[in-house]
Amino acid sequence: MRKFIDGYYRVLNVLLASSVGILVLPVTIQMISRLTGLIPAWIWTEELARFLFIWMVMLGAMVGVRDATHFEVDVWPVLKFRANAMLNIVSMVFVLVFALVFVWYGIKFVQFGWNQSSELADLPMTYIFIAWPLTGFTWLLFGFERLMRDIRRVVNGPLPGEDQPPTRDLGKGSLI
Amino acid sequence: MTGAALTPTVAAMWLFGSFFLLMILRVPVAFALGLACLPVLFIEPRLSPMVVFNTTFKAYNSFILLAVPFFLLTANLMNVGGITDRLVHLSRTMVGNFPGALAQINVLLSVFFAGISGSSTADAASQGKIFIEAQVKEGYDLSFSIAITAVSAVLAVIIPPSILMVVWGGVLQVSIGALYLAGVIPGLLLGLAQMATVHAYAKIRHYPTYPRASLREFGQATLVAIPALMTPFIIVGGILLGWFTATESAAAAVIYAAVLSIFVYRQLNRHQLWEALLETGRLSAVALFCVGTASVFGWLLAYFQIPKALLENVTSWGLGLIGVGFFVAFVFLVVGCFLDAIPAIIIVGTTLQPLVASVGMHPVSFAIIGIVALAFGLVTPPYGMCLMVSCAIAKVRLRYALKDTMIMLVPMLLVLASLIIWPEIPLLLPSLIRPDFLK
Repeated sequence: MRKFIDGYYRVLNVLLASSVGILVLPVTIQMISRLTGLIPAWIWTEELARFLFIWMVMLGAMVGVRDATHFEVDVWPVLKFRANAMLNIVSMVFVLVFALVFVWYGIKFVQFGWNQSSELADLPMTYIFIAWPLTGFTWLLFGFERLMRDIRRVVNGPLPGEDQPPTRDLGKGSLI
Repeated sequence: MTGAALTPTVAAMWLFGSFFLLMILRVPVAFALGLACLPVLFIEPRLSPMVVFNTTFKAYNSFILLAVPFFLLTANLMNVGGITDRLVHLSRTMVGNFPGALAQINVLLSVFFAGISGSSTADAASQGKIFIEAQVKEGYDLSFSIAITAVSAVLAVIIPPSILMVVWGGVLQVSIGALYLAGVIPGLLLGLAQMATVHAYAKIRHYPTYPRASLREFGQATLVAIPALMTPFIIVGGILLGWFTATESAAAAVIYAAVLSIFVYRQLNRHQLWEALLETGRLSAVALFCVGTASVFGWLLAYFQIPKALLENVTSWGLGLIGVGFFVAFVFLVVGCFLDAIPAIIIVGTTLQPLVASVGMHPVSFAIIGIVALAFGLVTPPYGMCLMVSCAIAKVRLRYALKDTMIMLVPMLLVLASLIIWPEIPLLLPSLIRPDFLK
């Protein structure tokens, strides 16, 4: 299972980095065509860029649950190891609830888009809407992995190779 | 009446109550915002959780927000491309002979960096690593060094390009070109205020100084740094000349940074390029995801007409233009202490908009007051990201550098007050260069 999650995580990372890189292309094509007229002003570039962007956001949101980079506000004093792990469990349960909502209603969302296609490029909207339930599934996967680890921390104390409770990597979750 | 089953008060209690509860339980903000919407979506018969999907889809399906990953990618490419060293050298030839030289360099570098990156935490992280240790070695106090690194980093979101301005422009439909121009003078004023503070500290505490650099050295350093310093001019200039939209200018900046790092400074290999792409995706997507859930929250506030109910009291105070300006600044300063700036813009910005419009405040000056106040929130506890990053680098607790940070904030708050009292200050550049951006 661990291997599967690792592999899946790596695939998501590759897709994420690629989406950022490819995102530059349609916008550049749009600029070149308008400024130079060397290539025709394809109307789908703008839509393609937006759809790729949606996928980038959702991929990043998936990866963020495993990396624990989703931005959180810590109003607690420095907690003891077990208390900290316990609080992690509580907050993760809520994340998992949101993940279930994304799966359950996300599937409805996809069904709703079944017969729709996009305005400009005539893409089936399913290709876009599917990102929501997929995000939900991925959160469940990554979330349970972290949940199990925190449960083991509460039961057995620090995991092997972990003398301190993992502190958050500051600044990782925010780009402002 | 909207015909909603829940009154504004009850709906507001559900929304804010569950949001704060979840936040205290350390649920990530993006999830807390989304989860807090669920109770009312289930209770209110006309709504269903499908609102979450339609609204997040609409929020992400935005050509304007595309600029966010592009700006971050530009900064990342410039960083690995060895730009920082060149800019440090340039800053040293400019302010090296002032008292408290290294701290002055720290501030000036933030100004330069602000024109390239638009991300304050990136600035605090990279400068914290360079300056904090170096300053302490030269005899500066540690808490002073942490504080000046943190407060100077906030300039990144005020001097263009700025991620906050892109989000503000996109969400509240203000010209991003106008916001960029409007941010220049306030940003420089804040930089000057910080340099004056450093000067006062340096005089009182006898901080060291460097020998004056010759004009020749300054010229050489400028020449080397010019390609990097061109970035803000490409971004802002391209928009002003009508060549690019805001998003396209950001993409142009990415290409420029890539060309510069690969061909001119020749310090970017394939592995670093990949890392820059991945890091950009990770950071920007997490923040942008929050735009979606914050939009759902904001949509529900509007649906239940909560802003109107909240502001009814304030409207009855009969505040004038300046009074409302101070009220806006106060609200954003308080909210900025607890909430990340992007959701704060989406939720609080849209809430305050009717009030601001009712007294005839210009949308651009509203934006600048809001963004500057939110930027200060980056160094105020409990949630000051820049201060947290600087303290983490120095391996001390946040409380350690708090006093010096608060002292440095005083002149900066005076600058904010002057922006409120004289709205002409931020509006000067846009009205001179592109009055049509102000409509």
